[in-house]
Formats: sequence, structure tokens, C-alpha cells
Amino acid sequence: MQHRFSLLLLGGCILCWLLTVAFLPKSSTTTMFKVKFPFSAAGLTKQQAAAHLLNRFSFGATPNQISEVAEIGLEKWFDHQLAASINENELNEQLKDYDALHLNNEQILNKFVRADQLLKLAVEKGLVANKDSIKVNGDQKAYKNQLKELYEELNLQPMAELHRQLINQKIIRAIYSKNQLQEVLTSFWFNHFNVSLTKNQSQAFVLNYEQEAIRANCLGSFDALLIATAKHPAMLTYLDNAQSVSNNNEVFNPMVTAKINKRIQRRMDLLEQDSSNNNRAKKIKQLAKAKQQEGLNENFAREVMELHTLGVDGGYTQQDVTELARALTGWTLSPALAANKGIAQQKMIEKFGKETLLNKGFVFENDFMFRADKHDSKEKIILGTKLKEGGGFEEGINILQMLGKHPSTAHFICKKLAIHFVADTPSIQLVQQMANTFIATDGNIKSVLLTMVQQVEFWKAAISHNKVKSPFEYIVSTARATNAEVHQPYQLFNWCNKMGQKIYYYQAPTGFPDQSVSWTNAGALVNRMNFGLAFATQKIPGIKVNWAELNHYHEPESAEAALYVYSDILLPARDLQKNINRLLPLIKDIQIEQKITLAAKNHEMAIELDTTELNAEWMNNNHSHSIMQHRSNNQLNAIKSSATMHFSNSVNNTIAQVAGIIIGSPEFQRK
Amino acid sequence: MTNRRAFMKSGAMAIFATGIGGVIPSFVAKAAQLQKNNEKGKTLVCIFQRGAMDGLMAVSPYADAYLKTARPLLYMSPASTEGQLIPLNERFGLHPSLNSLFPFFNDKSLAIVHGVGSPNNTRSHFDAQDYMESGTPFNKGTSSGWLNRAMGLSDQKNNPFQAVSITSAKPRSFYGEHATLSVNNLQDLVIQTKGNSILNNLAAKSFEELYDETSNQLLNKTGKESFDALKMLNSNDLKNYHPSDGVVYPTSSLGNALKQIAFLIKMDVGLEIAFAESGGWDTHFNQGTANGLLARNLKDLSDSIAAFWKDTAAYHHKVAVMTMTEFGRTVHQNGTAGTDHGRASCMFVLGNDVMGGRVYHNLPILAKENLEDERDLPVTTDFRSVFSTVANHHLQLKNNAVLFPGWKGEELTIINHKL
Repeated sequence: MQHRFSLLLLGGCILCWLLTVAFLPKSSTTTMFKVKFPFSAAGLTKQQAAAHLLNRFSFGATPNQISEVAEIGLEKWFDHQLAASINENELNEQLKDYDALHLNNEQILNKFVRADQLLKLAVEKGLVANKDSIKVNGDQKAYKNQLKELYEELNLQPMAELHRQLINQKIIRAIYSKNQLQEVLTSFWFNHFNVSLTKNQSQAFVLNYEQEAIRANCLGSFDALLIATAKHPAMLTYLDNAQSVSNNNEVFNPMVTAKINKRIQRRMDLLEQDSSNNNRAKKIKQLAKAKQQEGLNENFAREVMELHTLGVDGGYTQQDVTELARALTGWTLSPALAANKGIAQQKMIEKFGKETLLNKGFVFENDFMFRADKHDSKEKIILGTKLKEGGGFEEGINILQMLGKHPSTAHFICKKLAIHFVADTPSIQLVQQMANTFIATDGNIKSVLLTMVQQVEFWKAAISHNKVKSPFEYIVSTARATNAEVHQPYQLFNWCNKMGQKIYYYQAPTGFPDQSVSWTNAGALVNRMNFGLAFATQKIPGIKVNWAELNHYHEPESAEAALYVYSDILLPARDLQKNINRLLPLIKDIQIEQKITLAAKNHEMAIELDTTELNAEWMNNNHSHSIMQHRSNNQLNAIKSSATMHFSNSVNNTIAQVAGIIIGSPEFQRK
Repeated sequence: MTNRRAFMKSGAMAIFATGIGGVIPSFVAKAAQLQKNNEKGKTLVCIFQRGAMDGLMAVSPYADAYLKTARPLLYMSPASTEGQLIPLNERFGLHPSLNSLFPFFNDKSLAIVHGVGSPNNTRSHFDAQDYMESGTPFNKGTSSGWLNRAMGLSDQKNNPFQAVSITSAKPRSFYGEHATLSVNNLQDLVIQTKGNSILNNLAAKSFEELYDETSNQLLNKTGKESFDALKMLNSNDLKNYHPSDGVVYPTSSLGNALKQIAFLIKMDVGLEIAFAESGGWDTHFNQGTANGLLARNLKDLSDSIAAFWKDTAAYHHKVAVMTMTEFGRTVHQNGTAGTDHGRASCMFVLGNDVMGGRVYHNLPILAKENLEDERDLPVTTDFRSVFSTVANHHLQLKNNAVLFPGWKGEELTIINHKL
């Protein structure tokens, strides 16, 4: 009893405090100064706590970042991350060549097309006779060249290029963005409200979806996020709601619909009698039949309840799913984005006039359209709430808001957040605390995160380090930990894919699973080890690491020393003595092997390398042109003279080998 | 043909011991022991069709007039003008895209069980898959998968290839205490970077030590599974693997998975439980009939299984294949020429000891009053009836209390019981 009372009291205090927070401007600095993170209570030093904070709320610490965060204060760093307003000029510079980022959905749709769409356009413009006419004798190369020419001629780009830009920009942002929490949450919410490049109808909209629906709302209120995703063309097409309609409505005279159907029927009959037009007749007949059969699709409604809000045990029934689907009939894309450029919809708008349609309850909002004529306006009962007959667009909004604030949603969302940020099996108490805040603040995401980070349980998770990084977190944290220059982000995507996480291509609406067990299987694990080795030994094209720079150009005096030094650089603030003890005997072998290899190579080639060549080799091995150029000659000479070049090279290779093992090690997989 | 001797890294193991003066690893002994393992020599290949296959289109009760009314756009029959069903009997027809499976139905090695599903009426993909794979349809707390529990009932011990899933993630069916192998591509099971092979071996040795050391149990266990397997696997063998003459696998992920499973069966490594999956069955929109979305998926399923079955012709006395899907789809077509989440679907069971050439079912006529919630094909056969029949009669495990705790249902008579 006493226990429960004190919990209530605590909850109440947090509530009052949160209410203050909720109404503060963008940066909540003044309040944050009053907040003290309880890491000491979890037995962590400030340094360890800073490391934990960066492990969970960023894609991994960059060199020296832990000390920097400890210096400015953990609370202050977190506050800045919540505000997500740190200047991103450098990042934007890196992204400047990604032209798709500056286009809206309609422009993207008109710029990036699949090969089949390209050929259709080319046929329309008379550039090719028909879609098969450029497939010359099955010569793939010639076919590809012709496609390339057509893309150029029509000033279009392949859809694959849009995929590439989407993937690359995400990897660049994850590695280099200063507003790391925003990027982490963008990934989290994207996965929660998953859409996929595997669906033809959705793929063109995914980039804009991430920017406008997800990133823009990732630190706001949950129901805003929910509604933004529900209205976005990517989601409307991915879960089929764009096609879900009702023909039982009173907005237009049912007589008109009947008349139209009759006219189509007559045309079909005529066509069918004409034998020369038999195929066309068949097609039209199919279309007309489909049109008559069109109606409800409950795909989106189900996933909204099961995956986006209440959770599968959130207390809804099959009946609720169907009723919600009815409430969302008519939610579709703006004509400009619809199939066939929305000719039919455009015609309708022209015929009746926008003004009339607005009066009838239509809604036109950027890429979204609500078709009142396709909405089921009859009475509905969802989760016991009655929606009166005659409702339109607003009933969908109201019901989504109700779902967004529902206590089941609060628990479901907070549990997912706790699993992501704290532990695979968070305590019921932690989730309850967060859910209390969720409910009290109407789903304010910042407030929920603040509640989470003020629980001792959050900090205790740093002791066990039992969350395994997802493949994406693994590759990005590797690049961050090593200050890597990433010129070909797509190479990292390929590795990520091999480890089991093909980002943006997860077909099911559940998104990728978020618990360690999902990422841990033999194949993926071996690929992680190979990635560590390939990355560290500079075998991944377009990715450069400067191992010497990372240790401020101090060469470790031995392989053992390298093991200590680079363990600390890659996994700061961790106790790695056990690991080191295990590796020490092996490291000696590695160094000996490196020396033998090098000696053998030199002997075989029988080439006396002169200093200039050695210089070039050092540069090559380190891929540090830009950085090296900024260093004075004195410094360079000092580095070179610190050891003979042979030794440098050998040590350099040994360092890479050792670093590869650390990156592929189990400790680096944990966050 | 290559055999196990070639498949095992010959000097193998040499590789790991190189110059480190380590002790002879335990797997050398293990490899020898493998020969004694899996004496029954049976293999069960499970294929999970994720997304819920429309059983009413795959194996269609075309003679039911209610079906035609319920799905005018999706109805097919042996008399359809385009793409006829292959008649199986007076009531059921096989989708034309499954034609490569038809010969096996004809020679009575393929049985179809219709009306299969879970007693739990969830229509959530995730939950239904979870229940089907844990084997406990009302218990979310079951941490192990039914195939992992099946492993525990087998005579085999410590064989890294006893249960192999060729998937990018470990399937729920494999969760549990027994070591399983999950890998998307067996060729990935090698530690290598370009360059010095001795260094690669040193790196491998280092990784093995580190994963052995880690306090994270999951990484520790999976690390062990990885190293046990990769030390025995010669990735070149797989690279050079040629299926039997005339066998061409589809290039899909299912085709590739079954090809690798065939490879392991031929290598005689004691593979007892294999797992593969195929996606894209969630046909809410423009499902199609003889052509289209569902037809493409069915063709991939059918051609992959057919290629596998031909490729493993010499092993048919040992192997059985079983498909599964989390639920079926609505009897009525939805408003977008597709179908929504329903209840019962159908399963295929293929094997020499299968009493095939029949559609086993208790399907009612599809009148509205016979449907579950007035919309779905009711579940008339518990999926555990099929699973347990195959586990007990093909793998000869005989322990339903462990496989499906709390279940007291009946098994089917679809497998010849020869012990």
C-alpha cells in the first residue's frame, strides 16, 4: 500500500513538472538545469554515464565525444538533442548533390521512373515503336545502353537512383548529423510506421515520407506523427487505403452512379459484339467489373490499431477494424500523385468545380485528398464510441486522435521506446512511468523520453550492456567511432544488407524487429566479423579510416600496446581487460605474421623502396590526404622519424588487423 | 559426387590450429561422431509462407457455388476461359501456377490438407506466426520454438547442422536452448578479407576466443554456433555445387534456400530440420487470378519445391517437405480486388511416406452461416494436427507433450507409419 502511494506521489510530481515542460519553448534549458540524471544511483561514473547516453541516444560516440559530453554536462547535451536545432551546415554541404532531397512528391514522381514506365513514355512520344522494340536479340548490354539514352533524352532518372539517394542520405545523416537523437528517432519512428521500397506504388514517396511525415514530427506529439503518416501518399499506397472506398454514400445522387454504370455496360456489350475488338472488350469489361466491385480494404485500419497505436492486445475486435476502415474510406492521394496522373479525378474536379466539392466535404491538402463521394458516411461504432451518421473527413481525424491518446497506445508505444532505448525486456514499472507521462502530456515524445532518462533503470542498463546493435547501428557506430570518411555510403548499405537489415526494403508493416535475438544468428554474426576486418583494413571501397590520426600520430610501440590503445579508442569507458588478456597471445602472432608477410613481399620483389615511395605508401595506407595536407612538414617528419618506415608499415597493418578484431568483437556489438 | 569427406574442411582444422600451438579442438572429435548421428537419417524441410496465403485460390473448392458469388473477380475453375484450375477431384482444383507440383500429387507423394489454421482467432500476422512457430496458440510466453523443442527429442547431440535455417534472421520456430544454425547464405560462413589467409585464420581464432569470453549469453551462444559450423564447412564446395542434371532452381530467395538445403542433405551432415521462408502472400490489393501477384508467388513456391524434390531424388526415402502459413484470407473479395485477413488456409506435405494424391479436409459449404464471423473459412484442422503428424511419423519423435504442451488433439492419417 505504502509503495503504491509513494509511486502515485512520484507520478504526481512528475506530472506537475511535465506540465511545465510541455509548454516551454523549443529549448527547455532552464528546466533542464534542474534535472539531474540519476546515474550515480546506478553506480556509474560521469564518464560511463556519458558513454551510455551516447550509446543509446546517438548512433555511437565519435572520438573524444564522451569527454566532451561529460564536460558540458549530460543534462545539457540531452537538452540540446531534444531541441534538435544544432546547425547542420556541414551535413547539408555533404548532402548538396542529392537532388531528390529538394523535390516534392510530384516532382519526384515525374523525375524518377522505372524502366517499364520509361518505355511507356518513350512509346507515347514516338521515340520507340513499342516496348519490346529495343530488346535487340536479348543483348542485355545494348538494351541497357538504349535505356540509358532514353533516360537522358527524356531528362528522367531511373527509380534505382532514387533508392540510392534515399539510402545514401540516411547513412550520411546517421554518421554526421549533429542532431543525433533526431536521426535515431527518425529511424525508430520510420520503423514503427514502416513503409517499403518493395511496393511499386509507394516507392517514389518514401523519401518525402521520411522527411516530412517522420523527421519533422519525430520529437513532437505522437498523434501528430500518427496523422502525418496516415495522410502521407507513401502510407496511403503501402497499406492500400488510397483504394479503400465506399459506394454507399449520399454525397452524390446514387442515380448518377447507376447511370454511369449502365453506360459502361452498354459500351461493353457493343464492344463484345465486335469481334475485332474482343481483347479490348475483355479488358474494359474487367476494369468495369473491378469498378463495380470496388469497396472496403481493411489493411490499413487493422495495422493502425495493431501496429501503430493500440497494439495487438490493446482491446480491439475484428468489428472495430472494419468500422475504422469504413471511417477512413475516401482518404486518398491528390490527383497529381494518383495512378494515370489521376485523369479521372482531375476530370471530376473540373466537372464539379473545386468550390462545389469543398462544400460537399472534399478536402485538398498538398498531397492528400479526401473524397467525400467515396466515404462511407453511415453510423459507425469504434471501441464503443459512436460516430454519428453523416460524418466526413473529420471523423477519421477524431478517431485517429482518440487512438493516439488511448491508454493502450501509451503502454504500447512506451514499451517499444523502452525496448529500443533501455533493454530488451524493460520492467513494467519503467513502462508504466513513461506511459503516465504519455497520457499526462497527450503523447509528448520529448516528455516521455525525459521521464525515461530520469529512471535509474535506464542507467543500470549500462552495466550489462545487453542490447545488441542492429546491423545499421553497428555500421554507423563503426564509422563514427573511427571518424571515417565515407565517400560511398552505399557500400555500407550492402554490408548492412548482408547482416540481415536491408533498410527501407522491409516488406511487412511490422518493421524490423527490435530485440537482440532478431539480429543474432550465425550468418549475420560472421558477416559482422568480416565487416570489422574489411572496414579496418581499408578493403571497403570509398571508406577511409586514418588509424594514425586517431591516436594523434603516436605509433604504439608494440602490437600489445596497439591492442590497449585502440581498444580504448574504439570502446571507451568499458572494462576490456578480460578481452585483452584473451587476445594478447594472438596479437603477437599477428604481428609476427605481418612482419613475415612484409619481409617476404619485399624480398620477392627485390625492390629497395626509397623514401618517396614509402611516403606514398604511408599516405595510401592512411588515406588521409586532406588531413595530412593541413599538417606541417615538421609534424610529418616527426611522425616519419619516430620509427623506420618498415616498422611503421608493419605496425600500421597490425593496428588495422587489431582494430578489425575489436570492431568485430562481441563487445563492439553491444550498446 | 562430393561427399561428406570432401565437404568437411580436410586439413581443416589445421587451419585453426596453425602456429598457435592450440589444443586439438573438440569439433574434430565431433566430426567423426557425426557419422553415428541421425541414424534414422530423416530430414524435415519446413517452408513458411509469410503474409497468409489465400488457400481458397491455391487449392480452390471451385465446385462450391458460394465461392463464385463471394469472389466474382477472383473465381477460377477448371472451365475458366483463361488459366484453368487443374482439377484434383470433383470439388477441388489446383491453381495453374502450382502445376509443377501436380505430378507429385499424381504419384501420390503430395498431400494437401485444407482448412488448416490456429484455434486462436487472431488476424494479426505477427501474432499468428508467433503462435504457429512457438506451437502454443494461446501462450505468448513460450520462449522456445516448436522445431527447437523437436531437436531436443532427437538422438543427435552437438551437431551444428542438425537444424539449419536458410533465412536472414533466426526464425521464431528455432528459438530455444538447442544450438541451431541460421544463415542466409552458407557461403557467408567463412572469416575472410582479401589478402593473407594466415591472418584470416588468426582473426578467426581471435574472434572465437572473444565470443567465447563475452558475458552476453546470446552473442556467446550464437558465436559458438557460428564457429562450430564454419570450421566444418568448406565454402568452395557450395560455390561449386551443381544440382542434379536438368534441375533448375528459381533465382528467388526460396529457390536459393532450397538449393542450399539440398546441398546439405546430399553432404549427409546429419541435417534433420531445415527451414526456409517465402514472403509476399499478403494480397490485399489486385491479387489476380491466373496471372498477377498471387500467381507469381505460387509459381515460385511450386517451382522451388519441384526443383528441390527432383534434385534430392536419391534421398526421397529420407526427406519430407511441409509448407505452412499463418492464416488464410477472407472468402469474399475485398473492395480492391484482393482479400483481407481470414482464418483457415491449406498446407502441402510432400514425401515418399506421405499418403498423397488426396485433399484432406472437413470444409463446409461456404454459405455465410458456415463461415467464421460470417466472413472466413473456419479452421477445421488445428495446425498442430499436421505438425505433430509429420514430427511423429516422419521424424519419429513421439512426444506431443514437449512439442505442443497442453494440446490433446488428434493426429491425421496422412503418413505411412513404418518404423
